[in-house]
Amino acid sequence: QLVSALHNLTRHVVYRGLTRAEDILSLFPENFHQNLKNLLTKIILENISAWRNEAQASQISLPRLVDLDWRVDIKTSSDSISRMAVPTCLLQLQIQEDVALCGNSPVVSALTVELSKETLDTMLEGLGRIRDQLSAVANK
Amino acid sequence: SQQFSALTEVLFSFLMEPKEVERFLTQLSDFATMNKLSLGPLKNIVKSILLVPSGALKRNLSSEQVRADFIALGLSEEKASYFAEQWKVNSPTLTRLAVDQTLMINQLIDMEWKFGVTAGSSELEKVGSIFLQLKLVIKKGSQMENVYVELTLPQFYSFLHEMERVKTSLESFS
Repeated sequence: QLVSALHNLTRHVVYRGLTRAEDILSLFPENFHQNLKNLLTKIILENISAWRNEAQASQISLPRLVDLDWRVDIKTSSDSISRMAVPTCLLQLQIQEDVALCGNSPVVSALTVELSKETLDTMLEGLGRIRDQLSAVANK
Repeated sequence: SQQFSALTEVLFSFLMEPKEVERFLTQLSDFATMNKLSLGPLKNIVKSILLVPSGALKRNLSSEQVRADFIALGLSEEKASYFAEQWKVNSPTLTRLAVDQTLMINQLIDMEWKFGVTAGSSELEKVGSIFLQLKLVIKKGSQMENVYVELTLPQFYSFLHEMERVKTSLESFS
């Protein structure tokens, strides 16, 4: 019962984003032991940002990018043409499934994608636009 | 020989756009009617003729070699030279087509994106963090598959940086 109450208290503080000691102190009932109240508040305040970060890291989301690797190959021959020198890019994305669903055993899958030079150029155009949109928002 | 150049034109327009089968067959039967040839034997001849350019592509033959091949097959020198000329003119495009047909593994076809701002969650009442959500359309074999992935802003900038490095690398090999 004690653990449960403590859990509820901390969850509430994290949820509401309380950062001031007064806000936390006001949560305790009137006749609560003074020193204990102060001690708990102090400990909670110390841990608040770590708890918030963790909550954010474990919230539901689309699959998240964990890592990215790439390699450039030169295609020299194929069944349709016996000699060529075409550079191509292989991109490997490490994707982690929804963290909230996986709990402590994250499922990470690797997806390898091939891009031709044209596709890469188009993609860079798109990424450039994203960057411009981000700067526009940041400058407001 | 005018006949031959007309036929060559039909053949090359098919080679350049191999998906236009209907059009090719229509043009062939028009040609047959105009020149009072029967379609059956014409189709057979055309089949044999078409083997030469596709073999030439596979083996990267020069126009000289194509000409020699046709002469060996019994075509007159004049006609063989004409065809070889047409071949020379069209081979960059035809080579391009052959290269494009080359196997690609999980080819990236399209990319869409949107920004998501997480406003709140069951754990945190007010959040305000920005995520980039990407949808990648990938061709797996003959089917398309959508892959959704989320990136934080630092990850996005890192991704952009890496892709620019890839571009530099690809350009240095072109």
